[in-house]
Amino acid sequence: MRRSADRARRGKRKGPTDLQIKLVTLVGLLVLWESLSRLGYISPLSLPRPTRLASTLWDLSVYGFPTDITVWLHIRATMSRIIQGYLLATAVAIPLGLIIGRSYLLERGTNPIITFARSVATISLLPLAIAWFGVSELSRVLLIMYGAFWAILTNTIQGARSVDINFINVGRMFGAKRSRIFFRVILPATLPRIFAGLKIALGISFMVIIGVEMIGTVEGLGALIQQARFFYKSDMAIDGTIFIGVLGLILSVLLDRVERLALPWAVGLEEVKR
Amino acid sequence: MKTARFRQGLIASWSGFLLLILLWQFISSVLITESSLFPGPVQVMRSTMQNLALTRLLQHLGISLQRIGLGFVIGTALGITFGVICGWYRTLGSVLRTPIELVRPVPPLAWIPLAIIWLGLGESSKVFIIFLGAFFPVFTNTYKGMTTIEPNIIRSAQMLGLKGGRLLLRVVVPATLPDIATGIRLGWSYSFGCMVAAELIAAQSGLGYLIMHARELGITAIIVFGIVLIGVTNLITDYLIQELILKRRLRWHFLGTEQA
Repeated sequence: MRRSADRARRGKRKGPTDLQIKLVTLVGLLVLWESLSRLGYISPLSLPRPTRLASTLWDLSVYGFPTDITVWLHIRATMSRIIQGYLLATAVAIPLGLIIGRSYLLERGTNPIITFARSVATISLLPLAIAWFGVSELSRVLLIMYGAFWAILTNTIQGARSVDINFINVGRMFGAKRSRIFFRVILPATLPRIFAGLKIALGISFMVIIGVEMIGTVEGLGALIQQARFFYKSDMAIDGTIFIGVLGLILSVLLDRVERLALPWAVGLEEVKR
Repeated sequence: MKTARFRQGLIASWSGFLLLILLWQFISSVLITESSLFPGPVQVMRSTMQNLALTRLLQHLGISLQRIGLGFVIGTALGITFGVICGWYRTLGSVLRTPIELVRPVPPLAWIPLAIIWLGLGESSKVFIIFLGAFFPVFTNTYKGMTTIEPNIIRSAQMLGLKGGRLLLRVVVPATLPDIATGIRLGWSYSFGCMVAAELIAAQSGLGYLIMHARELGITAIIVFGIVLIGVTNLITDYLIQELILKRRLRWHFLGTEQA
C-alpha cells in the first residue's frame, strides 16, 4: 500500500522498514507475554503462556480434543461444510443473478425480497433450521449456503446490470446472437463483480460456520473451541482460534490467486460494495 | 418514458413483495400439512401474539439494542482512533498494526469461547464480541483512507502553512471521512450479526435468545417472527445510519458520487 499521506508529509522514507518493525514487535510481544506469565502477572488459567500454547498445539494435532478428534479432523469437517454450502450457493446464485440483472422489471420485482433476505442475520436462521432439519449436517450446509447466496446474488445482479451498453451494441453490430452475447460479452463483463461477491461470500460462510458449529456438534473448529470452553481449557480454545484465523487467511489468499488467474484484466478492482 | 419505466419498477417491487407473502401463506396452508412447523404469515402473527407478551418482546429488543449500541460505539471510537494513529505515525503505526493484523483474520464469532473464559457469561462478553465486529472494519477502512489520501491535498495544505495537529484534524481526517463512513456501515452489519450469534450461543435475554428459546419450547411461529423482527431491525437501523447520519454529515461527498 502506498503511504501517500506519509510521503507527502515527510518526503523520503527513512529508518527501519515496516516489516522489520513488525517482526521486532511480534517477538517483543511474545517475550513480554511469556515473561509476564512466568512472573505470575498473567493467570495461566485464563491466558496460558506461548510455550504452553505451542505444546498444546502438538497435543491437538496428535491426540486431539475431544479425545481422538485431532485438529486435522476438525479442519476437514469445517472445510467440507464450507465447500458444500459455498458451491451450492455459487451454482444457484450466479445463473439467477445474471438472469435477474439483465431484466429491469425482474430486478425491481426481486429487489425488496433480496434486500430483506440479506438483512436477515444468517445465524438467526439456525433455530429454524434445527426445527426443520434437526441438528444435522444439512442444517449447517444450508445455513452456509444462505449466507453465501445473497452476497453472490447481489453482486452478480449489480455486475450484470452495469455491463457497458456499448459492449453489447458492438456485439450486436457484429451480428452476434443473443446467446453468444450473453456468454461472450455479458458474462465476462460481469465476472469481476461475481468474484467480488464470491470473496465476500467466503468471509461470510467462514463466519457463519464457526458460529453454527458452536451449537450441537463436536466436530469442526467452532465445536473445538466451544468444547474447550466447556472444559475451561483456555489453551485449547486459543490454539483453536489461531487455527481458525490461519485457515481464514489461507482461504482468502487462495481466492485472490484464483481471481488473478481467471481475471488477469481486472486486477485492482477494489471498489466493492455489499 | 423514464418516469413510466420507474413507475413500472415500483409496481414490480410491490407486487414481488406481495407475491412472496401470498406464496408463503399458500405453501403453509395448502401444501404443508403440518402447519405448526411451517406457519404462514397469519399463523405467525396469531401464535406470536398468543405466546409472547408485548412487554417481554420489547424487553428483548431493548436489551439487544443496548448491547449492540454499546459495543458498536466503543468499537467505532477505538477503530477510528487507532486507524488515525496508525495512518499518521508511521513507526508507531507499524508497532500497533502488528497485533491488530494478526488478530484480524479471526472471525469475531470465534472469540465467543475465549470471551466467556475471560469475561464470564455476563454482559461484557457479548459487548466484547460486538465490539470486535465493529472495530476491524472501521479500523481497516480508516487506515486505508488515511494512507490513500490524494497527496496534493496535503501538499497544498502544507503550502498554506498548515502542519501538525491542525493539518491532521482540519485536512487529513476530513478527507478520510468517506472511508470511515464505509467502515462504519460495514461495522454495523458485522456487529449486528455478532450480536445475534452471541445471544444465540450464550445469553439469557435478547432477540437471539428469544428465537433459540422458542426452539426449545417448540414454537416455530415465534422463531419465524423473531427472524423477521431481527431482519427488520437490521434494515431500519442500517437505513438510519446511512441516510440520517452518514449522508447528512457527508453530503459533499455523496453528492459528488451520485452525479457521477
